[in-house]
Amino acid sequence: MSSATDRLSTATGRIDQSLQPLADVYNRLFGDYFGEMNGLQFVLIFGTAAALLTAPFWGNFGLVRAMTVAAIWAIFAMSWDIQSGYTGYISFGHSVLSGAAGYTTAMLIHNVNPELSMMITIPVSILAALVVGLLVALPSLRLTGPYFSLITFVSVLIFYRLIPSFSQYTGGETGIQSVEVFTYDPFARYYYMIIPMFLIAIVLTLIARSNIGLILMSIRENEAAVNAAGINATKFKIFSFALSSIPMGIGGVLLVHFGGGVDPTTFIVVDRSIEMIAIAVLGGMSSILGPLGGAFFLVVLRDYVLTEIAGFPSPIRWTVFWGLVLVVLVFVRDGLFRKLWHGLDRFGGDRR
Amino acid sequence: MIGQLLSILVLGAMISAVYALIAIGFTMIFGVGGVLNLAHGALIMLGAFTYLAFTSTAGALSLPPIVGFLLAVVVTAAASYALYAGLVKYIEDNIVITFLATVVVALLLTELIIIQFGSAPSQLIPVVSGTIYLEAVGTRLRYVQLLAFGVSWVAIGALWYYVTKTDEGRSILATSMSTRGAELTGVNLQKVKSRTWLIAGAFAGIAGVFIGTLQSTSPEMWLSPLALAFIIVVIGGIGSIKGSVIAAYLIGYLETASVEILGPSFQGVLSLVVLVAILLMRPNGLFGRELVHE
Repeated sequence: MSSATDRLSTATGRIDQSLQPLADVYNRLFGDYFGEMNGLQFVLIFGTAAALLTAPFWGNFGLVRAMTVAAIWAIFAMSWDIQSGYTGYISFGHSVLSGAAGYTTAMLIHNVNPELSMMITIPVSILAALVVGLLVALPSLRLTGPYFSLITFVSVLIFYRLIPSFSQYTGGETGIQSVEVFTYDPFARYYYMIIPMFLIAIVLTLIARSNIGLILMSIRENEAAVNAAGINATKFKIFSFALSSIPMGIGGVLLVHFGGGVDPTTFIVVDRSIEMIAIAVLGGMSSILGPLGGAFFLVVLRDYVLTEIAGFPSPIRWTVFWGLVLVVLVFVRDGLFRKLWHGLDRFGGDRR
Repeated sequence: MIGQLLSILVLGAMISAVYALIAIGFTMIFGVGGVLNLAHGALIMLGAFTYLAFTSTAGALSLPPIVGFLLAVVVTAAASYALYAGLVKYIEDNIVITFLATVVVALLLTELIIIQFGSAPSQLIPVVSGTIYLEAVGTRLRYVQLLAFGVSWVAIGALWYYVTKTDEGRSILATSMSTRGAELTGVNLQKVKSRTWLIAGAFAGIAGVFIGTLQSTSPEMWLSPLALAFIIVVIGGIGSIKGSVIAAYLIGYLETASVEILGPSFQGVLSLVVLVAILLMRPNGLFGRELVHE
């Protein structure tokens, strides 16, 4: 086994060496902010980024559509991760935040003024996600461990049950379908989703690699020690929730303008929160790019490979999907992309 | 007005008894193993659908309801045990993975049920049919409601006897108080946990048949019992059986009263509000203890 690895890494090491100069340029310029990488890792990151940015030129309609959806889910998963993955406070209620943004947009258009411009609805919706995020965070952060997860789960249930109770404003089970979509052109629509995703990924990676990220991770490891060091852990937990709410709001807005409406099943139900977590855990918790990769992997698998290529009907598709998630959860706990990343590190020739 | 109060009193007692069954299984698993079993609702659903499969007149097997009921309990208990021995045992050291894996199991089971039975709600044949009109209260009571009440209390009584009077049962109680202490006195942790899952599964099976009969049987039905179990257990205090029973009655009455007075669309909202209030005032619930970190 190990000799196979060795033999492989002499080959890959040579490739790595030839790519190293490129990576070195990057390392010198950005290494301090985003972390250093070797040649293979450099190719993985920038190759993937290039592939994502050019997808409409090489992908077919179904694939690009799946990737458009994946971009939104990547935003959700990364946002979940900066809060839950980094601090260890596992939220089951993140669909409430994106739902708050989506519902705000739809309700502003439906109940206030159908002519309202996106310049108004989008900032207001993101603000709504932030407010709801703080509303959930302030009481629940007094709790720890399973109790925290429970109350965030309950916040989803409350939101879900309030929708039919106020159906004259929320549209009840069918939701509100009168929201304008950004564009019907699949080509342009892709960029409407992927560019915000990249910006969010860059910002969140910067934050996660800064001292703030370090403090959030320390909270996960030992909250008492963080407090003892004179850092107010609660403040940082609330900050992480706020930090997570804003991209959740952006994602919610993108989702509502992608589909042209809101309804409880697309936005609120517990399944959606679980999907975000599954994506993040599958990609690799507490790394920003892991959830991003997980989102593309899972959503493309679910919406394109299992649907258009394998042609499964819906329940079988979901069975295969959840079955696969379960297998990865049990056998690759640290996440697929963390494994890939460290694999590339090992195969990356001599780095001593 | 008096009639309405009496009917809330009677109907609330009937449904609360079933809620207590739901919550006890959930709280025992947490108390003993520290595992939040998010597949608990799915086990309840499994109980309802097993009963449906064995008793439905459309199916090949239309067994008598009482046989179907017993089979449902046995199948659900076995499934619960299998879930522990086949999955949770290997991952329970990681709380996030366990959370996720159990909820994924629930979602997986939902899809399998949809493949087998379709996504439309089904109708269960009641274990006993017929109704009785309570003149003094002014409400009609189904025999199956009375049966649910009776069976629930028999099951809770049996469990109480088991965990306080027998050695096997007492080892469960001991483990829920202190894992390390129990181990030091020679308790086999694996066996205790397996037994707990078996009991929780049986309780879920009983609850499944009654919830399925009294409320609805559909592939989406797992969420609301799970939410109920959550709410009740948090209010009662995670790990406390006594707390679960009391909180189950609190929530059962609250729901019955809000349906009678405010209307059906407010069924769940009020109990959720109470839950949040209690969590804020007493984060460990009414009868809870501090989470023990080891």
